[in-house]
Amino acid sequence: MGKLRFYLALLAGKLSRPVLKITKHKGTSFPGELALRICPAFLQYVHMPEQIIAVTGSNGKTSTVEMIAAILTAAGRQVIYNKEGSNQTEGVATLLLANCTLTGRLHGDVLLLESDERYTKYTFKWFRPTHYVITNLYRDQLTRNGHQEWVYDAIRPSISPETTLVLNADDPLVASFAQGRDPAKVKWFGLEENPSSTKEHRGMYDDGQRCPICRGKLTYSCYHYAHIGHYKCAACGYSRPTPDFAGTALDLQKGVLTVNGRTDIHLAFRSIYNIYNILAAWSVCSLAGIPADVMADTVDNYILKNGRTIRFGLGAHRGTLLISKHENSVAYDTNLDYIRSLTEPCEVMVIVDAVSRRYFTGETSWLWDIDFDRLDTPHVRRIWLCGKYVNDLAMRFDYTGVDPEKIVLQESISAACAQLKAEGDLPLYVMTCFSDRDKLLSLVQLEQGGN
Amino acid sequence: MELTILHLYPDVMSLYGEHANVAVLRRHLEALGVTVTVRKLMADDAPDFSGAGFIYMGAGTERTQKFVLERLAGQGPALRAAAEAGAVVLFTGSAMEALGASVTDAAGTVHPALGLADFATVETDRRAPGDVIAHTDLTDSPVVGFMNKCSLTHGVSAPLFSRLSLGFGSDAELGPEGWHDGNIFATHITGPLLVKNPDLLDALIRLLAKNQGWDLPEQLPVLPHERDAYAVTLRELQSRVK
Repeated sequence: MGKLRFYLALLAGKLSRPVLKITKHKGTSFPGELALRICPAFLQYVHMPEQIIAVTGSNGKTSTVEMIAAILTAAGRQVIYNKEGSNQTEGVATLLLANCTLTGRLHGDVLLLESDERYTKYTFKWFRPTHYVITNLYRDQLTRNGHQEWVYDAIRPSISPETTLVLNADDPLVASFAQGRDPAKVKWFGLEENPSSTKEHRGMYDDGQRCPICRGKLTYSCYHYAHIGHYKCAACGYSRPTPDFAGTALDLQKGVLTVNGRTDIHLAFRSIYNIYNILAAWSVCSLAGIPADVMADTVDNYILKNGRTIRFGLGAHRGTLLISKHENSVAYDTNLDYIRSLTEPCEVMVIVDAVSRRYFTGETSWLWDIDFDRLDTPHVRRIWLCGKYVNDLAMRFDYTGVDPEKIVLQESISAACAQLKAEGDLPLYVMTCFSDRDKLLSLVQLEQGGN
Repeated sequence: MELTILHLYPDVMSLYGEHANVAVLRRHLEALGVTVTVRKLMADDAPDFSGAGFIYMGAGTERTQKFVLERLAGQGPALRAAAEAGAVVLFTGSAMEALGASVTDAAGTVHPALGLADFATVETDRRAPGDVIAHTDLTDSPVVGFMNKCSLTHGVSAPLFSRLSLGFGSDAELGPEGWHDGNIFATHITGPLLVKNPDLLDALIRLLAKNQGWDLPEQLPVLPHERDAYAVTLRELQSRVK
């Protein structure tokens, strides 16, 4: 009976795809939804390839998945993966429907899934990843996801004993997924101390102060960013595991990362995120049997196509949009670090108009978690604050060391852009979220070939 | 005029930028000529409420809240005594639950709380995040904010907010929310409550002044952007009220 339902679901799901194409509903998760409604165990019956790689965590999922796909493809593997970030259960079912035969067999060698941290337990109830990458856990859209321990508890039931976990050794909460597991089923990636590391924690809050196992005080020998670094609990001895795949050297000035003391990788984008994405992709691809030279060739100077950095022109200003997810202070802080690391004079714009593109909220507590003091630097000449929540932004800046003379308040994004277009020629860095991105991009001249 | 603000456990109970409440209160008091000292009681410090004129604690995770309940075990009478001696106490987010009799976690374990009030909290396995418009006699204008809780609090005899026009109360949609007893104020509204609500901030400052014996001007300081920010948030939230 189960099998019969499955074939019925498969057929219905597959047939719905051309219909959606005609009715211009392409790209939705409807086929998967339909198949799951007919056969709730649909995912269990699809004949999977030998390797199933899943990636979850707060930040870096999409970028890491994209990089893994590029490496596997370069190595000649046929990869099926969810490009459009349709990472909930219905999205996964839709992906499988689009890529399997009428007997339910997937076409590829590897199934690669970006998995929404809240839904992994539902998806992986029906099939198990062979390799499961967990990138990091921190405050991200608390409105929707809950705090990081809540997310930890949501991911935990999705992990089965047979799966090889590929964990970020530098995140104490992520590393605690290994507790009570067969050590042979856990592989670690991490970054060694380097000139960009700091001895002190930086940021408005520190979620790495207490041990996730015993609540004792964690001490860090170095920090890479936020609570990501090398930690040890004096009370119970819980400490950062030694990585199997390590960034053994990093020169962010030159843009070179050395993996396992052997391979130098040139960085197209010099952000700390990019380092961890590369290390995560390197680890899981290595475990999947990809030779080091193929991995190195692919990730060397790799340019992400994720639309997180967009170049544009506005009058005489050359603009760069740095997507900085609202309700995610670490994402903002990382972009603030990037702006701070520059040397040439520039202007900065922060837009908070709609907090989310998916839901309404007036929640702005996350503004107080962002370390805007990082803009208190001479080369940042002017800071434009824009959008509906311009007053909340202005108040937040009142509690930083930033010179108030540098701040321009302009609720209207178009008025701010018109003013910028008419005057000045300094590079402009804009920080905002997907929810507000197009309000800016519709007013500027996008650069050809940029993404 | 002097005041010590005691911020309880900012290392583990500040999930939603709660340090802003202390910062904005401090700035307003300084604008009135008050010399303000902020003392942070960290997780490894022994609890000590002495000398504090304002005692604040923000929200934590379910686990850090239980950790803090253990750290504060037996401190209920001392906190009650501090409040009766004139300290204004404000607990926001899941810190509110610490003031009641107990918190029962989702697994059913009962964790004794400070016992300043009879109410009891039961955690669920679902979070109920949402914007809030709350009404209290303390201010002419409604209070705006946001909640992100996974619990129900039953048996509050004296709610801080008599009703909500948006959001989930202590144990019912649009129901009464929070707890108020003399100098003690508690609400499950998270984050920068005092930043978002200048009238509530002023009401607490007037109470502080009364308790400390300060003479305040008729008109309290109005700092830039606060009123405008409040008006925008209230307008946006009211547009969601059906």
